[in-house]
Amino acid sequence: MIRFGLRLAVAGGREALTRLLVIAAAVAIGSGLLLTTLAGVNATNAQLTRFASIYPNASTGGDADPLWWSTRDDYFQGRQIIRIDVAATGQRAPTPVGVPTTPGPGEFYASPAMRDLLAAHPADQLAARYPGRDLGTVGPAGLTSPDTLLAIVGGTPEHVATLPNVRRVTSVGDTPALPETTVNLILGVIAGGLLFPVLIFIGTATRLSAARREQRFAAMRLVGATPRQISTVAAVEAAAAAVAGTAVGFALFYAFRGPLAGIPFTGMPFFPDDMSLGLLDVLLVALGVPAGAALAAQVSLRRVRISPLGVTRRVTPRAPRAYRLIPALLGVAVLFLAIGFRPETSDGQAAVFLPGLLLIMAGLVFAGPWLTMVGSRVMARYASRPATLIAARRLADNPKAGFRAISGIMLALFVTSVAVGVITTIVDERGPAPVGSTDAATVTTVFDEKTTSVPDTLFADLRAIGGVRSATAIRENPELTASGEVGVIACTDLPSVYGRCAEGASVIEVPLGLSRWRESASSATVWPAASITLDDLQRAPVVSMVVGTDGSVAAVERVRTVLEVAFPTFWVGPNVPGDFESDFADTLRGWEQLANVIIIASLALGGCSLAVSVIGGLTERRRPFSLLRLSGAPVRVLRRVVALESAVPMLAVAAIAIGMGLLAAHLFLRAQMGYTLVAPEPGFYVIVVVGLVACLGVIASTMPLLERVTGPETARSE
Amino acid sequence: MSVMIEARDVTFAFGQTPALRGASVDVEAGEILAVMGPSGSGKSTLLHCLAGILVPDSGEVLFDGVRIDALAETQRSSLRRDRFGFVFQFGQLVPELTAVENVALPLLLSGVRRARALPKATAWFARLGLDGLEHRRSGELSGGQAQRVALARGLVAEPQVLFADEPTGALDSLTGEQVMDLLVGAAREQGTTVILVTHEPRIAAYADREVMVRDGRVNAPDRIAS
Repeated sequence: MIRFGLRLAVAGGREALTRLLVIAAAVAIGSGLLLTTLAGVNATNAQLTRFASIYPNASTGGDADPLWWSTRDDYFQGRQIIRIDVAATGQRAPTPVGVPTTPGPGEFYASPAMRDLLAAHPADQLAARYPGRDLGTVGPAGLTSPDTLLAIVGGTPEHVATLPNVRRVTSVGDTPALPETTVNLILGVIAGGLLFPVLIFIGTATRLSAARREQRFAAMRLVGATPRQISTVAAVEAAAAAVAGTAVGFALFYAFRGPLAGIPFTGMPFFPDDMSLGLLDVLLVALGVPAGAALAAQVSLRRVRISPLGVTRRVTPRAPRAYRLIPALLGVAVLFLAIGFRPETSDGQAAVFLPGLLLIMAGLVFAGPWLTMVGSRVMARYASRPATLIAARRLADNPKAGFRAISGIMLALFVTSVAVGVITTIVDERGPAPVGSTDAATVTTVFDEKTTSVPDTLFADLRAIGGVRSATAIRENPELTASGEVGVIACTDLPSVYGRCAEGASVIEVPLGLSRWRESASSATVWPAASITLDDLQRAPVVSMVVGTDGSVAAVERVRTVLEVAFPTFWVGPNVPGDFESDFADTLRGWEQLANVIIIASLALGGCSLAVSVIGGLTERRRPFSLLRLSGAPVRVLRRVVALESAVPMLAVAAIAIGMGLLAAHLFLRAQMGYTLVAPEPGFYVIVVVGLVACLGVIASTMPLLERVTGPETARSE
Repeated sequence: MSVMIEARDVTFAFGQTPALRGASVDVEAGEILAVMGPSGSGKSTLLHCLAGILVPDSGEVLFDGVRIDALAETQRSSLRRDRFGFVFQFGQLVPELTAVENVALPLLLSGVRRARALPKATAWFARLGLDGLEHRRSGELSGGQAQRVALARGLVAEPQVLFADEPTGALDSLTGEQVMDLLVGAAREQGTTVILVTHEPRIAAYADREVMVRDGRVNAPDRIAS
């Protein structure tokens, strides 16, 4: 029976072969994406393990000599540079991962991206921060990502031991990876957003010409086949297509592994080798997908009773009821409530927001058929054109089937709208300072160790840099109050672009960067008088330096380099307000790009599902449609029927999904950060429109089939 | 009476297989013509050529003195929609629509507003003994009921010619006769010309005249005494 099933699947005529190919193609895309997700999880774990090795825990024991290790953050044009200072205390000290030897004083290793950066810019902008002998390149084992900017700098134990964030380690590379729960969760949501349309596509494809297949099974029953034999044939047919599709899926995965590794799933790209599959992953997909397809075929057969006299539907689908709205509304309510009762801990927040978002996601898919039914009934009630009437009636008759093909689009657009809405708002609220602003032109360094004075030569060096407009040393406020600022300066030292002094003040209270947290520097700011004298001021230690420039890249980076060389014991390098935000924004934009990829992919897949669904619908109705054409109904009426049945629900669903996604994003932002949603940039809408147009294009590609299957010969031959 | 529709020396082939080999026939206005013949003789092809569904390979088809074989597809579609009606053997009702919507479909396709089309369609239900079935779907109708709905749909736009291709082919003899009674009665009432393709002499007997198609040619007509 298995051989017979295979023969039917492969040699059952053109229709059977087409069906096999379509299902195989759907499975190929699906299994390819599944493999990508599994490899993505593995790659994320590999990346997190390497990330952990950059920040090792202090360790003792064994007979190894300790290695002094300090990991600090530096910046260049808004990009984060990881600087690791190391000093071996003996011959048996461990060697950092990714390099052959521990660099000695005056030596350093650089990552490939760092090496490119060093080569591309003048030494006084970057290389002067890493003086000494260049020993070579840090290998992939020591880098989180191919893009990582990292330098491993050697020093004397005495010097490194005084640096911030320093620790003694006797072993490296064995630091436990950071918990990957969150990243895996995000990957899971993304995979869900992507895989759901794929599963819908596979499901729709397996229904292609299901009626004819079922008629064939009925004929087999007539000549004596048992239900068990029919079941076997159906399973073999489905599994055959799935095996072929899975094989192609593996080929697709390995063919595109390199480019896929370049997608910043975690905000930074992977090494191609990171995207690897374990034996369990391979077995899961290679055996699980065909088994799943065979199981799905069995389930679909359960919906019909195949008797020797024909096929009867077991149940007439009941009209969906309004209770289907409850989960989605519940999800919205959870997010609304979260605005007032934001949990303090991140675990508590996750416990509120994630169920809320998941409830909306699942609720939208659950409510879809009801919404389709209501929408189509309204459409039918007011339809004046026959095409609208036919399309509306068909959707209202079986809204579950009508919605099924577009449910993937709904889910994917919801997930991406939430992501894009949140990302756009955060970037807008916390993104880098605008180019040309005072903030973008201000370099601040906060001293980890207080210093009593700043040498005059440093002021001279800074003022010698072209584009530098001011250099201000901020001293510690000795009489800090709860509402006061931590720094103090003489009124005469305040550059006018950062504000003015309160009336009659000689010493004023200022923040360490001359602008308040999350506020822009402004000449209109009036700084309050400090309750100390100018003499007291001179005795207070210097806690930070603020250098104002013209905002040019060269000036900013030269200032940064001079400050780093002058004060080498920084924890976080001299920075421009927005350096961290810029890096953070880049990471978020990486996620946004991923969201865009999902939008395009899911809409293309949704288009394929719709096209298959359209073909199925046309095959079912070829006779009444062809007779309508014979009776003079123009083909355009039938085209309109097909377009209305597929495009209208798709567009409506897209609008609902985006609207709900942005609403969920807004509620999340209000609850979590107190932000109001900022509308996504036009690029988002352009991508959605391009995706929808591509989707409509796929639907339009079925139109020639409409003309062919409704031609006069159809009426004759049936 | 004037000739309403006419085929002159029409030939038509499906690929290499000839279906009509010089068929000629004319039908007068208000006449009911039965086209008979064995399976594969070309009678349905002749009906399709007369209705402008198929364009003959050679020969002419005239409707009301105008050559319809020379018209463009859009013009022929419009002719079929506005001047002709059709009844087929089975499967002609759009399954999603209710019976009354199916009947109203030709009117809607001609641009009649729904508010006017539906009452006009509903009127046919009483006339054809279909009262109470207006809102049933095709799957909820018996074969005879579905065929009467199809008949109503064929006649609702008051066509000049009704083409009926084996309209009782899927019905039992009693139901078939009921349908034919209604078809002939309604056509005569409206003065509609009917071209009826059938292989059943019992059904052909409802016609004013019958012609026999054999091997793609129309044999000498026999006039039936009314």
